[in-house]
Formats: sequence, C-alpha cells, structure tokens
Amino acid sequence: MLNTSKIRADFNILSSRNGSAPVYLDSACMSLKPNQVIEAMNDYYFNYPACAGRSSHKLGDKVTKKVKEARQIIAKFINARNEDEIIFTRNTTEGINLLANSLGLQKGDIVLISDKEHNSNLIPWLQLRDKIGITVKIIPSNEDGSFNLDNLSKLITGAKLVSVVHTSNLDGVTNPAKKIIEIAHKNNILVFLDAAQSIPHKKIDVQDLDVDFLAFSGHKMLGPTGTGVFYGKSELLEKLSPFLVGGDTVEFSTYENYKLLPVPEKFEAGLQDYAGIIGLGEAAKYLSQFNFKDIAEHELRLNTYITGELKKILQIKIIGPEDPKERSGIINFYIDGTDMHKFAVMLDEMADISIRSGQHCVHSWFNSKKIYNSARVSLYLYNTMEEAEAFIANLNKIIKIL
Amino acid sequence: MPCILALIIFGILGIFSASHRALAKEAFSCVFRRITLRPCNTGFADKIKGKILSKIITRSEFFAKMVNKHYEILSWIFFILMLGSTVWVMRGVYNFYVFGSCNGLNESGFCAFDPSGENNKVTSLEGDNSCGITQKIEENVTLEDVDLSGFPAQNIGSKDTVVFIGCYACDYSRKAYPDIQKLIKNKKANYIFAHYPAKGDTMFLGDAGYAVRKLYGDEAFWKLNDYLFIADKNYILDKSNLGTILNSFNFDIKKVNELANGSETRIMMKNQIKELDKTNMYGTPTIFINGKAFVGPKPYRVYRSAINKFIFF
Repeated sequence: MLNTSKIRADFNILSSRNGSAPVYLDSACMSLKPNQVIEAMNDYYFNYPACAGRSSHKLGDKVTKKVKEARQIIAKFINARNEDEIIFTRNTTEGINLLANSLGLQKGDIVLISDKEHNSNLIPWLQLRDKIGITVKIIPSNEDGSFNLDNLSKLITGAKLVSVVHTSNLDGVTNPAKKIIEIAHKNNILVFLDAAQSIPHKKIDVQDLDVDFLAFSGHKMLGPTGTGVFYGKSELLEKLSPFLVGGDTVEFSTYENYKLLPVPEKFEAGLQDYAGIIGLGEAAKYLSQFNFKDIAEHELRLNTYITGELKKILQIKIIGPEDPKERSGIINFYIDGTDMHKFAVMLDEMADISIRSGQHCVHSWFNSKKIYNSARVSLYLYNTMEEAEAFIANLNKIIKIL
Repeated sequence: MPCILALIIFGILGIFSASHRALAKEAFSCVFRRITLRPCNTGFADKIKGKILSKIITRSEFFAKMVNKHYEILSWIFFILMLGSTVWVMRGVYNFYVFGSCNGLNESGFCAFDPSGENNKVTSLEGDNSCGITQKIEENVTLEDVDLSGFPAQNIGSKDTVVFIGCYACDYSRKAYPDIQKLIKNKKANYIFAHYPAKGDTMFLGDAGYAVRKLYGDEAFWKLNDYLFIADKNYILDKSNLGTILNSFNFDIKKVNELANGSETRIMMKNQIKELDKTNMYGTPTIFINGKAFVGPKPYRVYRSAINKFIFF
C-alpha cells in the first residue's frame, strides 16, 4: 500500500502550502514533479551545464555520463534489451511523428488505428494519407470503449502497421496490447504502442509485450515537460531513416556526402535537452521505487469511490466501462447538453480543485458521438481519499444549483 | 448576451491588464461567431458563468441557484444597466467638458472629475457672503431686461457678447478673470465688465473705477481693472493704498477721489447694482456668454466651447 503522506512530502506544491495545497486531479494531462526530479535538473544547470557527446572537457564528460545513465535507467525501466533502443524525444507526439516519417510508408500502405486515438496518433497518419496516399483504417471499439480484437482481426489483412494507444486518455481503458501484438505479428505486421498514459501507472515490459515501437512522454510520469522517449527494437531502428538530421547525427560529412551515426544518435538531431533527459531519468528512478501494483490499487480505490458517488447523480454519464477496474485512474464524465467547462472552472474557483474539461485531444471521438465535451478526473499516486471526497462534495454543490 | 457584456468589460480592463486582454479576445471570438451566425464554441460563456457562480455558491447556494436559473435575464438586465450607465457617464464627460461640471451647467452635485467642485464655487450674494458651492436654479439667472449700457465695454459690435460680473475681493472672480481676458483677446468678443461688491468693502474700488473711466477714458479704466484683479487682494482692499495705486497709473488722486465720492458716482453705482440684481445672480463670478450664464470659475475650455457654440444641449 502506498504511503501517500510520505509521497506528498516529495512534492513541493503539495507539501509547502500549510494545508492549502491544491487538489490536483489532472495528472493525465500533466503529472506533478517530485523534488528529486527538480533537484537533478537544477544540479545540471548549477554544476555542469555543458554539452554531451561533443566536448572533451570534464564538464562535458559529466553530461555525457549523466545522459548515458538516464538512457540506461529508462532502458531498464521498460526492460529494453539495450540502452540504444531508447531515443530521447520531446514528447510522445514527436515519437509518433518520428515513426510516421521514418518508416518509409508508400502509397496504398495501410495503417490501423483505434477509434479513440489522441490527435497525436491520428493526425500524423492522416497527414501521410494526404501527402503520399497511405490508407488509414479505424478499428471500432466495443460499445463500452473496450478494444474489439475481432474488429482488429477483420481489418488486419494487408496492413503495414498497427498503431494504437495502450491506455486511453479518454476513458482510461487499457487495450490488450499483448494480444494485439500477437495478432499483428502472426500477420507479419509491425505494432506501435502509444504508452503516454500507461507508462506512469503500469509496469511496461517491452520484451514481454514484444512490441516493435513504443513512445511515451516524461511530463505524465513525474518527469519534466518537453521530454519523451521513442523505443524501437534495435533491428527495426537500424532500418528506419531519420526524419530529423543535422548536428550530432553524423559520423562525418563532406560537401558531397555524410555518414549517419548508429542508433540512437542518428535520431537525436541537434543539441538535446540535457537537463530534461537527466530529470526524466530521475523520474523513472523515483517511480521504480514503487510497486506498480500498489499504484494501480491506490488509484482503483479512489476511482471506485468517485465512480460510486458519480453514479448517484442521475444526469452524469461516465465515458467508458462502468467498472472502475477497467478505467485505470481516469473518470471522464459529462452531462447531456451541458458545457463541462463550467464544472472545471467552478471546482477550481470554489475549492482549488484542478480537473480537465474539453475534448481532451480526442476530438474525433467526441465528434463521432456528438458529445460536446466532458470533465475528466485523473488520479495518481499522490492523490488522497480526502481529495476525492472534497471533489465529490464540491461537485454535489454544483449539481444542486445547476 | 454575457459575451457582449464580457467583451465590453474585459475590453476596458484589458487596456490595463494582460490577463483581462486574453479574456477580451475570447469574448470577441465568441461575439464574432455569434454575429456571423455560428455557435460560440469556445466555452467562454460557460467559463464566465462558472466563475460568477463559484463566487456566489460559497456564500449562498440558494442565491447561486437563482442566478444560474435566471442567468440570461440577469445578463440582459446588467447589459441594459451598463448601456444606461455608459450613456450617463458619456453625458457626464460631455457636461464636464462643456460646462465644467458632470451634472450640467452650474450644477454643483458630485463630479468625479472635479470632486471638490472648484468649477462651481462662488462668493454668495446672500447672508454672510460666504465663499463656496451654492446651488441655485440657473434658469433664473438672465440678462433679460438688464440695461448694460452704462458698464465699460470693449469690441462693441462683435457678434459674440461676454458679460463678466465679478468682485475684486472674490477669489473665484479673480480665478476666472485671466481666462475671460484670454477669451476676449482670442475671440474679439464684445466684452462688458461689471463690478459687483459681493465680498468685503469693495464699493470704493468700484467708485474709483467709475471715476477713472469718466476722467481718463475706457483704456485707463481697463488698465486699472486688470491691476485690481491681479494685485494682492489684501493690498487693494486696504483703502489707504488707493492713493498709491492711482498714483502708480499717474492719475490725479484728488480729482479721482472727488468724483468717486461725489453724488453722481453714488447714484450711478447704485443704479448699476440695481441693474445687476435684475439678473437674479446668486454669486460671483457670473459670466454671460451670448446670454448663457456660467456661475463660478469654469475652465477656459468651457468659455471657449460656449463661444464656439460647441454646446448642443
């Protein structure tokens, strides 16, 4: 079981305000950062703010060492076969764009995505459709939002890539990644997993999943903003042609020619966000001290309470499966004909409770269902039952007056 | 409707604050979409409603419920009130510009631009001749049936006429006097001056002025008059200084005194006061510009507006 008071002490915003800490229920958008992450980044800026991999002075060597360490930590965190399978990016979106633009897709190639994809895993493929004529096919989900493997099987023939979200930011449903990958691999089809929402809450083992490509962001897993990771199997990464090239991606260059460095360097063009990378490594280290089962149990306990209370309010409809076990730490709800921005604004103004309202970058799903928007509560390891109760008490007040 | 209200309010606040500027932009987008017959999809109206309700709900759930229920009607009421108050404010600004008071010509109610009512202060002609703000019905102050032919005048025949009734001892007359001189100089208006002894014993100065005018002509009188409004008040009010003053202008002290103290002057001055009383004036300075009475020392622009016929109402 998680010791939330001990955890909260690591987060300045939750511990320094003498009981007036905000109730932060928007971790699916952005997690809070523990002091350890901030200190690691500050340490870089204060003590060795130099370049990695280029300069041969002591400061440069230290940055190179720290970046390498961060890569090793991340590789271990997701159980990659080696650290070279880890490519640092700015975020998940950049990872997906890297794949979309490096895979060498041709006109007529089919990419399968689910009907609940974040814009980051929809727009790059639609853009390729418009640019080079690939075909994007949508795998319809079940009525309750769970993944429909039959629909995948029906559509998979002839596909080049299955690119799906692991845990949905819309309803918290975690797709059966292992089964999806099995089906795809049986058909010799590559699989990409968008792990932005799963990596902070679940143990990801890329070898066990046998996933070909995977991407996630640092800012949702207690890490700094503007950091992310793109994972790929070594043999596949070797075949990819980088879409961003330039500084620090080549072994040598002449006026006529150049030779790219091996992975991962050939994908990391230009000067990197070293402080961010070091902070991301620290975040992974911080998360590694917990058992992910404990995090999941903690979130489920809070989710079960909130779901139970929301169900008592007749007008409210929860997006996704009814059972909180199926929704990770996400409770996304709406009221027909009501703009849910109002709820988010009121909760914030009344009780300093931060939730997200809108279409959560899944406009396609909202438009297809003709739902205007929703309010989303997303939980994480630092949230408490008292916070869940405060949310429900204030929500009930709002419901009473509306 | 809330979007229009928000656009106006945040538009004004946005001049001073960047955060309100962002809200004004959102409000504009909302209003623009509505006027181009598209739904407002920014959620702005609901965000604003949420902000308002959340402030109320912490005090009274019942009141918050009522506000939520009648939000549209309340928005309309506030919009109409805002339009009303905007018109009222604009009227006040106009009044202040052309009359020197937000409330209208010679109205002495509170005015934010002139909180101490400086533009309406007069030396009262009633009781103790106290100085300050005196509210009277301006409509009664008139030049109708007042014979001004006996008073000193300049620029006779001009299309505009300015009549200045002031007192040498009145601070407010002394304040207005330079502006009137400037006006006359710039506009070449027909200018008639009358001394009304509203405060202290200033009758002797009026008498002396009359005598100087009679003995030395209008030009000599205007020079003395200018001096009496510019020189130290206590000095000119001291009768023993009159000789020195007259001497400084090379007037014959004996001749001036004889005429000033004679019965002709006394009768003349008495008649002049009687004529001035017909104006129903209640304090000095009272300035008539083309027949319109301005009581109290107004800013120069007020006189200029009056003579330029900028006053529409």
